[in-house]
Amino acid sequence: MENEFTTVGKRVVRSDSLAKVTGEAYYTADIKLPGMLIAKVLRSPYPHAKILHIDLKRALKVPGVKAAISGFDTYGIKWGVFRYTKDHPMLPTDKVRYIGEDVAAVAAVDEETALEALSYIRVDYEPLPAVFDPEEAMQEGAPQIHNEFANNINIHVHIDVGKVDEAMKNAFLVREDTFKAAGEAYAMMEPYAVVASHKNGFLDLWMPNAGPHVRAKALSNLLKIPLNRVRIRHINSGGAFGGRSEVSPGDLIASLLSIKAGGPVKLALSREENAISTRQVHDMIAMVKTGMKKDGTIVAKDYRVVYDGGAYSSTGPIATSVPFYVYEECYRFPNVRYNGYRVFTNKGIRGMYGCHGRAFLAGNEAQMDFMANELGMDPVEIRLKNGLTSGEITATKSKITSCGLKETIQKSSERTGFKKKWAKTQKFKGIGMGCVAMMCGFPMGFRSGSSCYVKMNDDGQVTLVTGLVDNGQGNESLAIQIASEVLGVPMEDINLINADTEVTNLDPGAYSQAATFVGANAVKVACENARRKIVSIAAQKLGVREADIVLKNRVAYSKKTPDNKMPISWVVREAFFRGDPIVATGSFFPKIDFEREWVSRPWGQMAGTFSFGTSVAEVVIDRETGKVTIPHFTAAHDCGRPINPMAVEGQMEGSIQQAGVATIMEGNLWERGFLLNPDLLEYKVPLACDMPDIETIIVSSRDPEGPFGAKEGGLTIRMNAHSAVACAVANATGTLFRELPLTPDRVLDALERKKGIKR
Amino acid sequence: MKTMKVTFRVNDEKVTLQVRPYETLLETLRERLDLIGAKEACVMGACGTCTVVVNGIPLRSCLVLTPEVDGASVTTVEGLKKDEKLHPLQEAFMEKGAVQCGFCTSGMLMTAKALLDRNKRPTKKEITKTISSNICRCTGYKKIVEAVEEAAKKSI
Amino acid sequence: MILPKFEYKKAGNIAKAIAFYELYNGQARYLAGGTDLIPLVKLRLSTAMAIIDLKGIKELKAISHQGGWLLIGANVTLFELKNNDTVREYFPALYESLDATSCETLQMRGTIGGNILQDTRCLLYNKTLEWRTARGFCFKMGGETCNVVPNARACFSNYCSDNALSLIALSASVKLSGPQGERKMRLEEIFSGDGRNPFTLMPGEILTEILIPMKRSKGAYKKLRVRDSIDYPLLGVAVSIKGKTGRVCVGGIGPTPLVYNLKDINGSTFKDVAEKAYSDARPVSNTTLSPDYRKKMVSVLIQRASKKVLQEGK
Repeated sequence: MENEFTTVGKRVVRSDSLAKVTGEAYYTADIKLPGMLIAKVLRSPYPHAKILHIDLKRALKVPGVKAAISGFDTYGIKWGVFRYTKDHPMLPTDKVRYIGEDVAAVAAVDEETALEALSYIRVDYEPLPAVFDPEEAMQEGAPQIHNEFANNINIHVHIDVGKVDEAMKNAFLVREDTFKAAGEAYAMMEPYAVVASHKNGFLDLWMPNAGPHVRAKALSNLLKIPLNRVRIRHINSGGAFGGRSEVSPGDLIASLLSIKAGGPVKLALSREENAISTRQVHDMIAMVKTGMKKDGTIVAKDYRVVYDGGAYSSTGPIATSVPFYVYEECYRFPNVRYNGYRVFTNKGIRGMYGCHGRAFLAGNEAQMDFMANELGMDPVEIRLKNGLTSGEITATKSKITSCGLKETIQKSSERTGFKKKWAKTQKFKGIGMGCVAMMCGFPMGFRSGSSCYVKMNDDGQVTLVTGLVDNGQGNESLAIQIASEVLGVPMEDINLINADTEVTNLDPGAYSQAATFVGANAVKVACENARRKIVSIAAQKLGVREADIVLKNRVAYSKKTPDNKMPISWVVREAFFRGDPIVATGSFFPKIDFEREWVSRPWGQMAGTFSFGTSVAEVVIDRETGKVTIPHFTAAHDCGRPINPMAVEGQMEGSIQQAGVATIMEGNLWERGFLLNPDLLEYKVPLACDMPDIETIIVSSRDPEGPFGAKEGGLTIRMNAHSAVACAVANATGTLFRELPLTPDRVLDALERKKGIKR
Repeated sequence: MKTMKVTFRVNDEKVTLQVRPYETLLETLRERLDLIGAKEACVMGACGTCTVVVNGIPLRSCLVLTPEVDGASVTTVEGLKKDEKLHPLQEAFMEKGAVQCGFCTSGMLMTAKALLDRNKRPTKKEITKTISSNICRCTGYKKIVEAVEEAAKKSI
Repeated sequence: MILPKFEYKKAGNIAKAIAFYELYNGQARYLAGGTDLIPLVKLRLSTAMAIIDLKGIKELKAISHQGGWLLIGANVTLFELKNNDTVREYFPALYESLDATSCETLQMRGTIGGNILQDTRCLLYNKTLEWRTARGFCFKMGGETCNVVPNARACFSNYCSDNALSLIALSASVKLSGPQGERKMRLEEIFSGDGRNPFTLMPGEILTEILIPMKRSKGAYKKLRVRDSIDYPLLGVAVSIKGKTGRVCVGGIGPTPLVYNLKDINGSTFKDVAEKAYSDARPVSNTTLSPDYRKKMVSVLIQRASKKVLQEGK
């Protein structure tokens, strides 16, 4: 593809990578401050128990201990993302609701002292009956985890469009299946850590996070400290994948300890603590009922999906909705009913995840293949027939403004020879396809938009200030790349200040796939505003029209007579002389329906745009052991225009690992309230040797609103790679899966059910 | 408990330290020597994030007691650069886009360095096998394998 | 996670190591590669006043041929052993199990002695003190009953060395040195059958040497695991034959490997062994895959290994 740009669309080296390959990049646990104390947390050993008494006295007497706290030292304010989900006390005083819940904490001169002190904290509990299965939790008489939520139903999302029952009745083919999936672990390589430093009435904090402003606001509320006195600072993040979006108990604990002790406090969680007490992914049960016409047109969908939410709401309304939306934004559903229930259980808290909803998504796609087969169609045909196209409106009234779905399906199927392989697979080999759409941002009130501030320094270098957050995806580099393109200076001339609540404006953060479409758009607008000022002065100085000015490689020149030129730094200095330095702001607000609400009003424009993607997995099954291997994986993603194709590929490849290969090995294992694999040995993050040969295809659809036509980069694959693998295994075994992950024991069961005979 | 005197080389510099006998090399590097490139991710030897090279062998520094490296030569990610010039692996990791969140990067680099030091021209299969000692949660490993291949070409 | 307090002692020879052991009245643990021991100490599953480092003992690092035996010092790393020509040529089962052990980095640190004497594992045992305290101590931790099999006063933890299985299949013996002197025994005799304390070694004894009869063998090692690196075996099967005789060893299920002697190998030998081993294996729900499945795989892996062995040299 011909590229008229200098850096946009190029495979540029990410701006953050130098510090990361030299070991100089700072992460939270690397921070050392003078007089810094080490914090440790005492956690609940019970899945459900009344707290009768907490005694910190003996812990405080241990030499070297500077502070000890429990929930009785807080204001007792409960946290919730929504007004109707304020149920998380962070440090509970009434009862504990899961094993590993934060109960008390100490800060001491070193880790050994802190651990010793923990052992002296006495907590009297009265164990209560607990419930671990969401279906059981919904039954009358089940132990109640929160008084405010009857039958433990935390969230019920009810969507009913058209006439589902009637359409089902008139459908040519109807099928109903139920699919289950274990929740995954985020397993970000960096265990959660937070450093809090309270000094002179100001609280500074560092932690890996997806949105600093949301945390600052929450902490300001919980600690009753004015917002301007809570400052979340920039730090590198060792992965988030959706699991670091909200304020965490550790943030409150480190802050309180720092306030009490009068010095900086570091709390670094162990791998096990990170697994049991931060966020986990929802276990799910998805009933999927589909009605089709004889020609394969989907006429109706009826869903009942139960999400195991664990002990608290977290981002519950969003988590209960997103799997449904990424699917209804992909396919045409004239009649659809969705009943999503998020249910409390006495297990760890479940949050949003980059691959969230695999039982639902893979279930839908695999079922569609089986129905297509009955109608004499193949997965490609049925997806093309029902896939949405540009200009269409989804069932819940979102308009699709740019759509490369068809192209992703066609390209990935052509590249893999899909139709042929699917129709006539060799024994124990299979191929499968998964499609999905992804909203680029979604309604988050005034945090849905982003603002950026840019200033040109006297040497022609640039300082860029934005709330945009990088959790490892490359968002920082993205912002710099866009500024470089607009301002005509190389990336290394741009200093980025971001993700610091004191100096940056609000931004959605690395959440909801808004970084490119929203955050980088604001960067582009700000830089364009600065550019206009540069161009105006340069045109005057060079005696040409503004339209003739080009900014490139630190130089402003005339397009017609390129020798007529001046360094941008001269322009900047001239602006200083004129008392009108080159500074500019810019903001971007996506065109979304702000009346839209996850539970009370689930319709209206969801996002400014949607990305699309198709994954194709090819699998081989060991007929005797049931072990699945994935020799090839092909992914096609419509990201609008790729700003940095290398970064987009990286996102797609990581998604194939985290969603695709995960489908055969990843899942949290529970024994009642005990997480059996809270480590990196028994929780199976795929290794290099487990990975398929990967082919990535970037499809450009040039979004009219996106910065340089860009949308988000790669998340569709994270939400459809599981479908591709599950469909491929179904293709190979001739049976629909019942439960994910597709570990060898389950696959062998499926083979035995089918006696190894192909369709 | 008494501390012990330990002398070893770190990135070509001799250091002598008084350490606790029950101190791990990872703790010593990070806390006493401010070499924070080696990261703490699982501390049980399951992930490879804390890998450093000791006498040419990649070691998970969370499993090594500091007294065990008395007299040894330790290289950490901070010692990869020579005379302000990046190691070919560092360059290749940047150029091939093998770095995302960066938390596993130093361990990956050190594992790969030990490989290239003992095998100048590893095949793709050998590279994949070697880096299957380390967990990366972001990249899907493809660009890491490509980067090691590229670095091997460059270092010859 | 910080380690508990202990002293560190480095021994230059075996006598010195044993002397240290006695100095600490047995409250000491021997350290070789540490890939098994250090996590156990971190988890507070193994406690000691002193850790005695054996890596400075030169004689434990040698590989030599002597009187019809291949002698392998206990401190030879798995990676060194894997790259030993004799091992590759004479003992394919051992080569394959070494190659299948954990990952390359840990093969370079882990020693053959340590690999053999690794503690048995269980999904409910290899956990932090906090986790185990909340769950309640199991039989192996000194509790009343097993946490996996309700009310069982027995331990079903799994012995997870890949290489001991191959070595047993190769009829290897081991040499031990301790306060009472030296002794030699067949490798399979080091297993006590009790998951709480899986080995018959006496206090202070050091495994110093592994001896394999120097006879060319055909062999194979098959391992069941989820990921193709790092993971411990959920089941391991080693087969080694010399002419018409041989051995099958099955491990990864329970605290002691199952051993089957083969005589007059014919077409049905392995099928019979597979059936016998299938009925002998008693997996319980203490790994990430179900016990029924692991049991089924016993015969599958035996047949697979035997197929490879029988095809070899054809």
